[in-house]
Amino acid sequence: MSAPVQTPARETVRPQSPATLVRLVAGREISTRIRDKSFLVGSAVLIVLILGMLVFQVAINSGGDTTRIGVVGGDAATAQALRAQGDALDTRVTVVGFDDEAAARSAVEEQDVDGALLSPTGVQPELLVPSADAAVESLVRGAVQGLAVAGQLDAAGVQLEPPPEVDVVSLDPHAEDRVEATVVALIGVVVLYSLLILFGQFVAQGVVEEKSSRVVELLLATMRPWQLLAGKIIGLGLLGLAQMLVIAVIGVVGALAAGVVDLPGQLIGTVLTVLAWFVLGYAFYASVFAAAASLVSRQEDLGSVITPVSLLLVVGFVVSIQAAQDPTSTLATVTSFVPGLSPLVMPVRMAAGEAAWWEVATAVVLMLGAIAVIVRIGGRVYSGALLRTSGKVTFREALRAERS
Amino acid sequence: MLEFDGLYKAYGSNQVLEGVGFTVAPGQMFGFCGSNGAGKTTTMRIAMGLARADAGEVRWNGRPVDETVRRRIGYMPEERGLYPKMKVGEQLTYFARLHGLDAGAAARAASMWAERLGLGARRGDRVEKLSLGNQQRVQLAAALVSEPDVLILDEPFSGLDPVGVDSLAEALLEQCRRGVPVVFSSHQLDLVERLCDAVGILARGRIVASGTVTELRSGATGRQLRVVAPDAPAGWAGALPGVRVISEQRGDTVLELVAGADDQQVLAAALATGRVAHFAWREPTLVELFRGAVTETREVAA
Repeated sequence: MSAPVQTPARETVRPQSPATLVRLVAGREISTRIRDKSFLVGSAVLIVLILGMLVFQVAINSGGDTTRIGVVGGDAATAQALRAQGDALDTRVTVVGFDDEAAARSAVEEQDVDGALLSPTGVQPELLVPSADAAVESLVRGAVQGLAVAGQLDAAGVQLEPPPEVDVVSLDPHAEDRVEATVVALIGVVVLYSLLILFGQFVAQGVVEEKSSRVVELLLATMRPWQLLAGKIIGLGLLGLAQMLVIAVIGVVGALAAGVVDLPGQLIGTVLTVLAWFVLGYAFYASVFAAAASLVSRQEDLGSVITPVSLLLVVGFVVSIQAAQDPTSTLATVTSFVPGLSPLVMPVRMAAGEAAWWEVATAVVLMLGAIAVIVRIGGRVYSGALLRTSGKVTFREALRAERS
Repeated sequence: MLEFDGLYKAYGSNQVLEGVGFTVAPGQMFGFCGSNGAGKTTTMRIAMGLARADAGEVRWNGRPVDETVRRRIGYMPEERGLYPKMKVGEQLTYFARLHGLDAGAAARAASMWAERLGLGARRGDRVEKLSLGNQQRVQLAAALVSEPDVLILDEPFSGLDPVGVDSLAEALLEQCRRGVPVVFSSHQLDLVERLCDAVGILARGRIVASGTVTELRSGATGRQLRVVAPDAPAGWAGALPGVRVISEQRGDTVLELVAGADDQQVLAAALATGRVAHFAWREPTLVELFRGAVTETREVAA
């Protein structure tokens, strides 16, 4: 009918594959979000918080653990004896030498040292302390006694056999480490919870933004609802995972550098567990948030539909704190299997060493099953409600309506 | 060939479309007119897969319009839809990508269309910062940016200033010259009359009149003749056979002639009264055709 018209742009047009469409949507989500000021500020705050927690830990660990003892007229053996006694009493001893009593006295008065020992090897050793301090007292007393006994034995020419080492068998060899791991897991769950709430909200806001601005009509002319949903969830999920990774790396590197943790291997293991549970939790909650958000058409109405979902998250968070205190409780055990709660509770139980491998496997399988169901139902609700841009759609309507 | 064939659609008890059907040839500009609530938007949404017809289908080149075809349709929805916080250039590039252009071609097409629709300087601005008229241009650019095979535009001219109307009209005419069928709905009937090769008038869920403007005119009931004879006495034409006086005002008379009535006899009668300043068949405007078509069906329906 009409002569074919050559337009250069046409030759390059090819229908995009579903994977490309999902990738395009995901790319847009990431590039929009990453330039969003509130997102950047929020991320910075979260990282500062984590760093703050670390600094706090370091401050607690370093404070009070060293004892400074001033010595007047002591030798190397004195310092040695004080340090050995310190080890026995679980404190690090720093020995500071002073020339005379006056110097030592003023150092004690200025609290430069915790105590000053005068003539340790003399007939009448004397300890100066700012005020009565049992810890310093027993430390110095023990050291001086040791010195005296050693001196006397030495004078008598007695050679002592070294006393036998006592072999300690702990019935729970990892109890100490477990506490540490549980603390790490708990911090991880706090971050996980914050990010699930944050990115769940991002997904919800994104869905409503597309509905309220009606841009969804243009989008659906080029792709299926599930592609739009998948792109959105994957894009924001990658961003969330990246943020989680940044926090994890900062946390782990910071903790190792500061020497807060004793077992790097276990720390990293726990962090990886939390990351894995984040992926599962995010898949679950993002789908729920998206489906819930698709029911409304205005940002103002968003609260009414996502509050119930957020409450589920809050419950999981509260339970996981309980679980950290008592990982063997029935509440912790049961909720660590409940899909939706398990990402928040199970990492803590695992870190506490209370979850057998089959328990973890069961929780993961249950969670995967739940995700499959949620994605299906959520996707249907989403497609059903997406084009109803007037007012609020009920869950049932959305489920029944495909494209009407 | 873009064919809308027997579309039926009801929302609950409200029957919106009752067999809407019309055809748009490649390179044809089709103006889609109808009163508010007549079903224009529903018809277009069905074509875009945003609503599902109870019966009937839309075909492009003989094949039902599906997702693949839709990616080659440029669409402008009635309720405008753009990402408010996204920049104009990025937004256009994004839509071009979704429609199947690769990254480089999409960026080129986006900047080209922004330039052509007078948005060159605003490419880096967020859409929400633009005036409504400019947002409208962005919306149109989003429909055109993928060099579509078909254009379906719901009220593309509403909210545009005269300069905007002209640049949009020019852009659409160019698409027609490229062989693209263009369907647009509008309430501005003078614009439809000026631009369109074909017109469809929708009333109460049915196409009550369609065809070229000339065809619609020839089908209009009765033919009107306007005679200006300043010296003619009142009622001068009343007695002529087959002639009905529609209006008469100080020598300016509009007459309706039944088929077969002799217009030369009317002229002779007019000349007999004295000077004749104007004697011509009166072309009914599209507005009149529209009114006629819409009221006719109302009478039929009643």
